[in-house]
Amino acid sequence: MSATTDTVGTGITGWLGYIGGTLAAIPSQYRTALRQRRRNTIALTILFIVVVLYPAVGHYVLADFSRRVFPLPLPDDTVSTFMTIFAIMAIGLNIVAGFAGLLDLGYVAFYAIGAYCAAFLASPHFGALGINLVFLGHVGPGAAGIHVPFWLIMIVAIIVVATFGALLGAPTLRLRGDYLAIVTLGFGEIVPLFFRNLSSVTFSLTLGPIVISLANVNLTGGVQGINPIDPPYIPILGWVFDARSGPMAVYLGLFLLAIAILVARNLEHSRIGRAWGAIREDETAAEMMGVNTLRTKLLAFALGASFAGVAGSFQASYLGASTSDFFDFSISILVLIMVILGGIGNIWGAVLGAFALTYLDKSLLPYIGQRIGDVAPSLPNPAEYNFLIYGVILVLMMRFRPQGFLPSRQREAELTVHGLQDAEREMGVEVETDNVDITPHGQSETGSGARDAETTDEARDL
Amino acid sequence: MDQLIQVLIIGLANGLIFALVALGYTLVYGIIELINFAHGDVFMLGSMLAYFLIAPISSGGWGIFPITVDTPLPLKIAEILAVLAICMAAMATLNVTIERVAYRPLRNAPKLAPLISAIGMSYVLQNIGLVWGSAYQRTIDSVFPPTNLLEPFGITSVAITPSQVFVGILTIPLLIALSLFVNRTRQGRAMRATAQDPDTAGLMGVDVNRTIAITFLIGGGLAGAAGVAQLLYNDYTQYTLGFRFGLNSFTAAVLGGIGNLQGAVLGALVIGEINALSDFYLSPNWTQAIVFGVLIGILVFKPTGLLGQQLADRA
Amino acid sequence: MNTTEVVELGTGSETDDKMLVHARGVTKRFGGLLAVNNVDFDIPRGSIVSLIGPNGAGKTTFFNMITGYYVPTTGDISFDGHDIVSPGRRGRVKSLKPHEVTALGIGRTFQNIRLFGTMSALDNVKVGINVHLQSHWWDAILRTPGMVREERATVDECMQLLKLVDLDHRSETWARNLPYGDQRRLEIARALATRPKLLLLDEPTAGMNSSETRQMTDFIRKLRAELGLTVLLIEHDMRVVMGISDRVTVLDHGEVIAEGLPAEVRANPRVIEAYLGRGAAGES
Repeated sequence: MSATTDTVGTGITGWLGYIGGTLAAIPSQYRTALRQRRRNTIALTILFIVVVLYPAVGHYVLADFSRRVFPLPLPDDTVSTFMTIFAIMAIGLNIVAGFAGLLDLGYVAFYAIGAYCAAFLASPHFGALGINLVFLGHVGPGAAGIHVPFWLIMIVAIIVVATFGALLGAPTLRLRGDYLAIVTLGFGEIVPLFFRNLSSVTFSLTLGPIVISLANVNLTGGVQGINPIDPPYIPILGWVFDARSGPMAVYLGLFLLAIAILVARNLEHSRIGRAWGAIREDETAAEMMGVNTLRTKLLAFALGASFAGVAGSFQASYLGASTSDFFDFSISILVLIMVILGGIGNIWGAVLGAFALTYLDKSLLPYIGQRIGDVAPSLPNPAEYNFLIYGVILVLMMRFRPQGFLPSRQREAELTVHGLQDAEREMGVEVETDNVDITPHGQSETGSGARDAETTDEARDL
Repeated sequence: MDQLIQVLIIGLANGLIFALVALGYTLVYGIIELINFAHGDVFMLGSMLAYFLIAPISSGGWGIFPITVDTPLPLKIAEILAVLAICMAAMATLNVTIERVAYRPLRNAPKLAPLISAIGMSYVLQNIGLVWGSAYQRTIDSVFPPTNLLEPFGITSVAITPSQVFVGILTIPLLIALSLFVNRTRQGRAMRATAQDPDTAGLMGVDVNRTIAITFLIGGGLAGAAGVAQLLYNDYTQYTLGFRFGLNSFTAAVLGGIGNLQGAVLGALVIGEINALSDFYLSPNWTQAIVFGVLIGILVFKPTGLLGQQLADRA
Repeated sequence: MNTTEVVELGTGSETDDKMLVHARGVTKRFGGLLAVNNVDFDIPRGSIVSLIGPNGAGKTTFFNMITGYYVPTTGDISFDGHDIVSPGRRGRVKSLKPHEVTALGIGRTFQNIRLFGTMSALDNVKVGINVHLQSHWWDAILRTPGMVREERATVDECMQLLKLVDLDHRSETWARNLPYGDQRRLEIARALATRPKLLLLDEPTAGMNSSETRQMTDFIRKLRAELGLTVLLIEHDMRVVMGISDRVTVLDHGEVIAEGLPAEVRANPRVIEAYLGRGAAGES
């Protein structure tokens, strides 16, 4: 990368010029990659084509052949859409847990908030309260409730979720790793509980001349939830992306996923990405080098959460409904398994883990359950005991392959001994024999606040 | 007022059961700094086992120690003791096995690995409870008569039932025994030393692995006893109990000061009362949220808990 | 205090105070342990000052207080006219956070190397420069021209620093894989990336043989000469201390027992007693 010879223009034109230049360079970069790493490039190209074509081909052509030609079920439209939804979430959690090293066990809360943003802003729900507002939505005028277009919902969801992420993180990110995990778990439980319980709120508040009074108001839909929710819609073209739209929703999901990957990648290779890596490696040293660890961790939390907000709002709009029962702790763990299994710290690993586990959970296990049910109905149905399998996966992964299958080189080196040597060989670095191993101080997992220093080596010369 | 006292009494009984489970959390955390996510589910399996031992075959149980209200007292006591012994032994064994399989290999791994492993283990145990006991509540007929022991004293507005007394008789000696064990015996001293500084304890001749295993053994035994108490006091068990009790007991341990035994008991009583008050005056829907709120509050504002954290208090 | 010859190199400063660091009455208590006891300490601009003393004397603790990692029990510390440690409300002491201290212009290395092992040498140095970068997370997401320009300038500046410590040919090597001497120099490069006015070096020659030590001392002198840095060293190697320092301060049991020119301090009987009186446990 020639650092100083190219200049970047300023302002909007400069920005567009830069983007144009990057895009224009892609063909030549592709050709170089083809020359240098032929096999990998071809394999990835084929994979890319398969992914892009699959939703259309799968829907129109393969669905009929699914059981007859292939031994295993092919993901249908719903499963494919959920694969993209979970992949977006996995990327977000990967930012929190993989890049910054913070264990968030309550990720489902952000998913839920995103979904209810869509539920509030694109359904007849608030019509019962007399709040009616249609703004660029595609329902007819005079429709009850609030209806705004999907892209606006996504923006609102991002802002709301990021705010909640910051609110949760501000007092809690100074806690050590396992305590932080428990606190986030608590948050992940409380938020869906609020959504479930606020179905009949009676409340009265007088602020001077302003009186807010609610009598038995159904705020969140309670257990039944909120429906119907408007699906994403493009006017003029008339495209609808709901559960009955076939491959359309999958393509919207893939589009959102592509953006998510791009955003995550840009963050990774930036000032803040480096700060996250530093904090994860040695939080104390990072702080001493001028990294505002608290603010940086907060950003990881809020930014990571916003991915779940996007996923949640998309999911609710896609399904056309949102119920609180859907959002429970097991989803937080499911996404965590995706990140761990797929490869911690690596964006593509997270996507891979999400695709694999969603397929397993929503296609493969139900299919196996069905086959077992056909043959021997008294045997337990694995689809019902899916978390037994996932629990075993977690225990085995931690024991034998904690870095996952496609980890980033950094995390693999941190978590395994031989991973380091593999990484070196791959990069063509000669392995020094007289190096000093850096003892991992305060791996941020146990990073206590910088002030709580009694246990650090600095105190050694006391 | 009487209502309040009644609620407080109920809270006390549940609090004692929470205490037994909370001790398991606090002992393990004190010694290896691991939040044993799976502990609540061990408790659940303990109560599940007790159910199958006691429930008659007609209800789906094994009918080995059928106890009803009418069973004559000496036999009742003997059968309860037998169930207790079996459940405590079984859960102790289970807990030690879990440590051996899921936590010990990870002792040198980054701190979060055993935590994640514990989460996985929790799901495994939960599903075992699901397969074994089905998704529904499994109930037994009350083993104790619903008489009010205060009646002979002329008090009718508040009641203390035999089942509540039973909980006290079961839990309090165990708590005392544990305290004596930790503070007076050599093994207990080894536990305290390991909790303070495992490396040095090892250098001083303490078998750290064995000490940790014994800690899990004791925790499991207490969880088994708590399971029996829960079944005989509340007359039911269900595979979801692990989560609810785990949450309450872990919060209790943190409230009292994680690693601190007296703190765990004190915290458990407080949490028991909070549960009872919330269930009665607010709504059971909100109880979990409140307990979580307490947990978050302590961790954020006073992470050392009410009594501070030491397993190794100067004897 | 004796007058000394101070090398002033016209380092721009907010005050015309000759002292870059003013520390008064700094005390640190850890529970019952008095680690640092009522230490007064000044560091003149452009000087190289050594802080020595037997093990356990409180030197690293003092470093940690200047950098905001520990909050002193009492005392105040000012740097370049800014307060790092000052009295707070209700008799307590308030201190800047470490990253704020770094932003003011204090960089440091560690006694036991604390590099970011699985990051390349270049990335390690880049982290040091983070505190002076202006782009935010939204610039990162959008890849704004400002951010791209800043990233390219960052690479340039960091490569220059790597060149300064003779590691530019190893810029992509993981810090973990570098030989010991290279790691020490990389830590210094990383500290330099924070654009410090004051550089704190914690035992920079530990574990080095005599030729490496000589290279390091030449290097430290070069830093002062070419970059106008003020340097505070913790050192155990007396040849380094005597050879490079403008002034030496000696701590023992958390108290200053001597301060002055290297030759004066070496002849000071209290200092000799502090070291020899330790017996076999002295310098290890």
